Amino acid sequence: MNIVVLVKQVPDSGADRNLRNDDNTVDRGSANNVINEMDEYAIEEALKIKEAHGGEVTILTMGPDRATESIRKALSMGPDKAVHVVDDALHGSCAVATSKVLAAALGQLNADLVICGAESTDGRVQVMPHMIAERLGVAALTGARKLTVDGGTLTVERQTEEGYEVITAATPAVVSVWDTINEPRYPSFKGIMAAKKKPVQTLSLADLGVAPTEVGFDGATSAVVEHSKRPPRSGGAKITDEGEGGVKLVEFLATEKFV
Amino acid sequence: MTFDLTSEQDQLRDAVRALGRRYGHGYFVEKAKAGEHTTELWAEAGRLGYLGVNIPTAYGGGGGGITELAIVCEELAAAGCPLLLLVVSPAIAATVINRHGTEEQRKRHLPGLADGSAKIVFAITEPDAGSNFHRLGTVARRDGDGWLLSGRKCYISGVDEADHVLVVARTEDAGTGKLKPALFIVPTNAAGLTRSKLDMEIVSPENQFLLYLDDVRLPADALVGESLDAGLPALFAGLNPERITVAAMGAGTGRYAIERASGYTATRKVWGGRSIGSHQGVSHPLAHAAVQVELARLMIQKAATLYDAGRDLEAGVAGNMAKYAAGEAAALAVDTAVQALGGAGMTTEYGVATLLGAVRAGRIAPVSREMILNFVAQHVLGQDKSY
Repeated sequence: MNIVVLVKQVPDSGADRNLRNDDNTVDRGSANNVINEMDEYAIEEALKIKEAHGGEVTILTMGPDRATESIRKALSMGPDKAVHVVDDALHGSCAVATSKVLAAALGQLNADLVICGAESTDGRVQVMPHMIAERLGVAALTGARKLTVDGGTLTVERQTEEGYEVITAATPAVVSVWDTINEPRYPSFKGIMAAKKKPVQTLSLADLGVAPTEVGFDGATSAVVEHSKRPPRSGGAKITDEGEGGVKLVEFLATEKFV
Repeated sequence: MTFDLTSEQDQLRDAVRALGRRYGHGYFVEKAKAGEHTTELWAEAGRLGYLGVNIPTAYGGGGGGITELAIVCEELAAAGCPLLLLVVSPAIAATVINRHGTEEQRKRHLPGLADGSAKIVFAITEPDAGSNFHRLGTVARRDGDGWLLSGRKCYISGVDEADHVLVVARTEDAGTGKLKPALFIVPTNAAGLTRSKLDMEIVSPENQFLLYLDDVRLPADALVGESLDAGLPALFAGLNPERITVAAMGAGTGRYAIERASGYTATRKVWGGRSIGSHQGVSHPLAHAAVQVELARLMIQKAATLYDAGRDLEAGVAGNMAKYAAGEAAALAVDTAVQALGGAGMTTEYGVATLLGAVRAGRIAPVSREMILNFVAQHVLGQDKSY
């Protein structure tokens, strides 16, 4: 099975993150950039499928030059090769434009299965798998906590707030996964050493036949107009118990619709 | 000389840190107090190739150097899991066998050391010799094709979890009649080899032993190398990797203690709204310890880089200095962390006092600070030998 895993480089969610003041985009320059956490689960799932059924795993990343670090790190876990879409004109691209670029790259990769994290820790909009599936005209099995492959049939347990749904689809398809699906492996030392020898193909917008005007700030269908830091948490309500503390607590919970 | 980490070494650091943190100091202490070993962590690190980073790929290792092994030692210690047998099995035993063993010995022993499925521990110290290796009394006598080994060894780590022990003995040179060192790979279950556990005041999942060798009969191929001439260089081959990796373990332990303490002092408030760490009486000792640990790390990187470049003599000086600096810095860092945490510093829960015994031992073993100062005085400062 030919599997492509979408990997995004994001600022470390455990550290201080900022948007740039000049163009309201994510400040990648000052951040410690890492693989989007959920994507590590997607890589692990792809590797497990390859180990059970054979095939090839390719990492696909769209991002600036420095995303190479994350691509090498992804490859150290075991995938066979990577494709890096890098082009200065991509800066400021919206989700719609990003999905256009990724779908164009996927069009060259002939994937049976595209796996990605259910969301990125920076954008958190969860739309990419749906948009890509729509552009490719294939099924989108999103929010998976379990994925089973049986020949050309994929079965997914889709995590919902109430429980889970069982969905099946034929390949090719796009599957997005949550961190409940597996436990990503640590890269072995051999994996780390082998990663630097694995092929990484770089593609520009010209290689993909996408015009620069369709992406970046010019082609964006949405834009961040302004941003500000979340205000610090206020102290909250303090209830002094003068015999009616319990009642006041319940009243508070009722006001907040917890009870 | 440049000793920036390569991106692969950086990735190794990240990966080992992540693995170590999943186990953590709580796991380490629990195993030590239960009298058990850190088997799960050892096995997982072995499968991932972290234990065999310095062993050639031809024998199942990672093909890296002591720089990589020092990274593994430091990061596991920085996660609260200082694994002493890393210093013994992959650093000393694997280096000695790889550099001075026969091809047959390399093929037989290195793959197991590389994936962690086998351990070889190291026996040099003796009750009557101490740091004076010229007084070693463990003697190997010819016995037909093979050897008979007799003597006593003490403070031998991890014999209960090892398959073999690399014993430093002496043989009588047929030509001159002088005794010369020879190393033997001895199965821990060999007839005539007995051990007794030494009770130590160190919270450690690894045990220390007295070893008694009473005419232990060994085949000819138990001798490390093709001939007795391999003995002296083989003995010295293990010393630099030992110094460098034990220093890395100390530096990692120091980092761990400072991280624990500074995390605590930054948030602990008992006088008004200010954290206790905002007071210089608390923060300066921690900052001082952090400086000492960082300086030790610098010397460790220098020593490892020199060693991996094949500059053994320079690596010897740097490795000894790194060991001295890291031993002192680790002891300072843990003691300072305990003081910063106050009463909490002495609890098991906060996980710093649990390291007091180990870092104190690090100023004595595997080579005492005094013997390092002797070495520096003699070999760097050109002073007459004092002993």
